[in-house]
Amino acid sequence: MVPDGSGLFWGGFGFQRPPIAFASELIRQKKRNLTIYTCGSEVDLEILVGAGVVPRLEIAFVAIEALGLANNMRRRVAEGKVEIEDYSNLAMAMRFLGGALNVPFMPLRSMMGTDMVAKSRYRGDEKLKVIDCPFTGEKICLVPSIQPDFSIIHAQRVDMSGNAQIDGIVGEDLEGSRCGKKLIILAEELVDEEEIRFAPEQTKIPAMYVDHVVITPFAAHPMMCHGYYDYDLEFLQMFHKITRKEETWQEYLDTYILGVENHTAYLDKIGWSRLNKLKAIKPRGY
Amino acid sequence: MVEYSKIEFLAACASSHVRDGENVFGGTGLPLLAALLAKETHARNINLISEAGFIDARPREVPLSVADTRYYLGCSASIGLIETLGFILQAGHVDVGFLGAAQIDEYGNLNTTYIGPYESPKVRLPGSGGGNDIASSAKRLIIIMTHDKRKFVKQLDHLTSPGHLEGPGSREKWSMVGGGPEVVITDMCQMDFDPKTLKIRLMSVHPGYTVQNVLDNVMFDLIIPNDVPTTDEPTQEQIDVMHRLDPHGVYLGKGGS
Repeated sequence: MVPDGSGLFWGGFGFQRPPIAFASELIRQKKRNLTIYTCGSEVDLEILVGAGVVPRLEIAFVAIEALGLANNMRRRVAEGKVEIEDYSNLAMAMRFLGGALNVPFMPLRSMMGTDMVAKSRYRGDEKLKVIDCPFTGEKICLVPSIQPDFSIIHAQRVDMSGNAQIDGIVGEDLEGSRCGKKLIILAEELVDEEEIRFAPEQTKIPAMYVDHVVITPFAAHPMMCHGYYDYDLEFLQMFHKITRKEETWQEYLDTYILGVENHTAYLDKIGWSRLNKLKAIKPRGY
Repeated sequence: MVEYSKIEFLAACASSHVRDGENVFGGTGLPLLAALLAKETHARNINLISEAGFIDARPREVPLSVADTRYYLGCSASIGLIETLGFILQAGHVDVGFLGAAQIDEYGNLNTTYIGPYESPKVRLPGSGGGNDIASSAKRLIIIMTHDKRKFVKQLDHLTSPGHLEGPGSREKWSMVGGGPEVVITDMCQMDFDPKTLKIRLMSVHPGYTVQNVLDNVMFDLIIPNDVPTTDEPTQEQIDVMHRLDPHGVYLGKGGS
């Protein structure tokens, strides 16, 4: 469904609700030349750039946070195979908000005085502009809005009409889900419409925005989904270790992504006893 | 005699700069450990905020991610990024932010993006994340780094987050909301900023280190005042609290970066 060359808003934040199952599927379908727009992402970006699916990104952050640097990204950037246009988190969130509001740019008070203004990887003059505010005369930074081809969001639950509920934090997913031309939701489970209507304040994404829904349990493994499962720390540490070398990364790619037919086969490979141990304990959420 | 590691010393020292009742941006890693330590000891009423959307957080164990559900349990509001970095931070409500960096220059400007030339980077680092936003708009900034000569440089490979930029008047020129860096804490010493020049100045040296050790490990002209005291050591209570917060040694067990 996603043609080569598309631009994608990429949902989730840090360890929370990254659409990793979707990233793996893009790799299996041998997609090429995709551009990713997000504040920050981790394992998903590592596998996308590692597999050569994504040569361009407009992001604020990539690493495995507490575990350390993003090794695949580091290698691909050093090889010149991946280009990153750097923004701050607030700048990216404002770009999505601008796209969602259907206005061409948004102002913010960050990034000024730094190399994020002075240097551009490929957008050139289109990266941002620092101007004197026409009303107050203060310096202000304008960033261009984004309306990517697709927004990819991982939610906890949806109903048949596509109403998507997100628990915990939303990161930049409210703006991100509304800025894309098509919205694809990955949901942990399908629930009755009644359940959605019973807690409508949790419907962070009303069905009217939603184009496609995929029911995908454990879509974030080895990362976490609030209220559903915790991160798989041991797997994550293994992943971070194997990405240090191209050879071991290629083995991982062959084993866990290309070597399985689909996400269900991936989960079988991880093993259900392992996955069940990650399931969240109520009410703590992890 | 309290026994402590370098990392424990660094976190304890950083935590002492948090004042009770402040709105604090925690992040992850050592900065978060320092903020949590403050909250468990002398600054119980801080409002700990994570940029992913958690407000007034009270995690029982250290989150590994700013979006970790460990931040959720016990927080009083769970919202999103425009709320924290926009409505709270950019509107001027954050008293103190913590940042680390791979490189710092004499004005406290930070690099967290590239090592090597921008055109052909040797190492891609994490990037700004919310770091630039925090450095631009938090009232005070506490910078935490492990001490290494290659990190205290005359010229950054990349300026990701603003310190005092080119000195007096620079932050005003860009209408910045926040006041910029206040202290830099390493495993060797504490540094603050000379109010006249806004350049880094030695503040205190940790036990076991000398002023000369510090001078040997910076690549710019560090301002040395006449009187350089020894930094207070952590207490046993602080060490115990840190181990309770990080039972698996995720932060305490590694060298930090």
